[in-house]
Amino acid sequence: MSRRIVIDPVTRIEGHGKVVVTLDEDHRVADARLHVVEFRGYERFVQGHPYWEAPVLLQRVCGICFVSHHLAGAKALDDMVGVGRAITPTAEKVRRLGHYAQMLQSHTAAFFLLSAPEMLFGVDAPPEVRNVVGLVEADRALVTRVVLLRKWGQEILQTLYGKRMHGINSVPGGVQKGLTVAERDRFLRGEDGVPSMDAVLDQAQDALRLFADFHERHRAMVDAFAPVPMLNMGLVDAAGDADYYDGRLRVVGPAREVVAEMDDHDYLDHFSEAVEDWSYLKFPFLKAFGREQGSVRVGSLARLNVTRHLSTPLADAELQRFHAYSDGMANARTLHGNWARAIELLHAAEVVRDLLHDPDLQGTDLVVDPGPDAWTGEGIGVVEAPRGTLIHHYRADDDGAITFANLIVATTQNNEVLNRTVRAVAEQELSGRSEITEGMMNAIEVGIRAYDPCLSCATHALGQMPLVVSVYDAAGGLVDERVRG
Amino acid sequence: MCLSRRGPSGGQAHDPAVATLIASFTGADCLVYGIGNVGRQDDGLGWAYVDWLEASGAAGVATLHRGYQLVLEDADLLRPFARVLFVDATKDPAVDLAALSRPEPLADVPFSSHALTVPTLLATARLCFDAEPEAWLLALRGHSFDLEVGLTPGARASLAAAGVGASSR
Repeated sequence: MSRRIVIDPVTRIEGHGKVVVTLDEDHRVADARLHVVEFRGYERFVQGHPYWEAPVLLQRVCGICFVSHHLAGAKALDDMVGVGRAITPTAEKVRRLGHYAQMLQSHTAAFFLLSAPEMLFGVDAPPEVRNVVGLVEADRALVTRVVLLRKWGQEILQTLYGKRMHGINSVPGGVQKGLTVAERDRFLRGEDGVPSMDAVLDQAQDALRLFADFHERHRAMVDAFAPVPMLNMGLVDAAGDADYYDGRLRVVGPAREVVAEMDDHDYLDHFSEAVEDWSYLKFPFLKAFGREQGSVRVGSLARLNVTRHLSTPLADAELQRFHAYSDGMANARTLHGNWARAIELLHAAEVVRDLLHDPDLQGTDLVVDPGPDAWTGEGIGVVEAPRGTLIHHYRADDDGAITFANLIVATTQNNEVLNRTVRAVAEQELSGRSEITEGMMNAIEVGIRAYDPCLSCATHALGQMPLVVSVYDAAGGLVDERVRG
Repeated sequence: MCLSRRGPSGGQAHDPAVATLIASFTGADCLVYGIGNVGRQDDGLGWAYVDWLEASGAAGVATLHRGYQLVLEDADLLRPFARVLFVDATKDPAVDLAALSRPEPLADVPFSSHALTVPTLLATARLCFDAEPEAWLLALRGHSFDLEVGLTPGARASLAAAGVGASSR
């Protein structure tokens, strides 16, 4: 008898997903898929609205990386009004400050809420232990530091955007507000329960310390857990190194060789999107490589595979260790995505420190006026969001009303690698086993959570997100079912 | 005003005392935390409740807060308060209009990476900061959660059941 195992929805990811693993009669994995069951629909929602509302409305796609959506939208509007990349240094640095502050606090949440419980307690640990409260009970000081690190990043966002979530700062051609000296000093010196910059730099290394300890104790498991070779994509600067706010899109292969590079405006010339009847989420792929070979991985692991250096010293030193561990080749180990996220967390803290010391943040030249004839009516904005490359593409009519909006989010880019990861974990953990355990199920979720996917920022009403595990026979009959929550 | 109450035992009752209890969150040591997304119809119920408190002045000198979801640093936010009222939309069909419960600090298993539950947040606040506010959760029944700004008539009825629109709480 073949059995079908369903995990619906996947816990601890944003929105609803469903994993279906089909076993054959010998208990080997016949198929494994990540289904996305909720359609976002924001692109239609924004049509007809004034163009300048797009970054304001579309940031509501996400409650975590709203700054990324706001900035991708703002960059698209820079294009649309004819400013392009010619915003002022103050405007660009203010945008970067918000972007990296969000990277810091988003990576902190993803690392310590998603991954750290498994690192401390093991994938097989009981669910009642393997959670954030278990983490607090095991290491109260660590979690207290994590809370304050999150708070520090969040306070920067609140200062720049006026509120801690879904605020506004970027406008077409620039920003509304810089950072005053008093505001800057609050984050450098620390006050009112906000840690100092020095404390943040230390706390930003907690994730690296935790991963290093975990890796040391479980090296074989961490390294062997579901490796998935893929092409890797990320934004790079003129020197070819990672830039999370702006640059060219670079794709590297297994030896970290550049296999494609493009202006970020030319994404659609190079990529196509496949549709599968079992998923609402599309499958982007590089046309030149075809559907099977052309999918790319984005996000922390991909970005570190793409870049040779990071622009800050502590993070760059860690990056070189990261590269050396894979002998300079692209790192395909799924759980090393947590290592990459920890390095990026430190990098974000260092970049924020450098920006806070930059007097341009106190500049008063905030917005470029493109003039009445510069209007193009179309814009594309690309940033590296915490989970990977994010693209906003808008068109507007001559009255400034949006006629078209397309959002290509990181989780869509990672759709193929997520599915391959689910398959790889299932083959490792489930094949040949006659009994499915809680630990095996969680292993599949661990593979998914390594990418911290945001399948849809669903509503957050009470009583959502139960976990249902169902086993079906070949005829579709229910053999077993498990409900969590 | 009567309000459907769900206590720690899980039972429900219509009890004017519940409205009185909600109305008591007016002091400087009180926090009212509205949770939700106003871009998703009835998911905006938590904010709508806080909007009303703000506009009517019914919360006195209590601190009002709006959040898209509960996040880790909210454990720090709770620290200075002796009493906290969380207000959120619910899809639970067992809640006709509104229900009040007394959440206890507890580690929930199915939590999202980005959105903690009230019990998990309370447990984190207690374990990290020794903060143990008297916490209540006002669940307001929502009916539609599509991409649209504005509450459904059913959600407005939930708000009314919670005292919104009354001349005083």
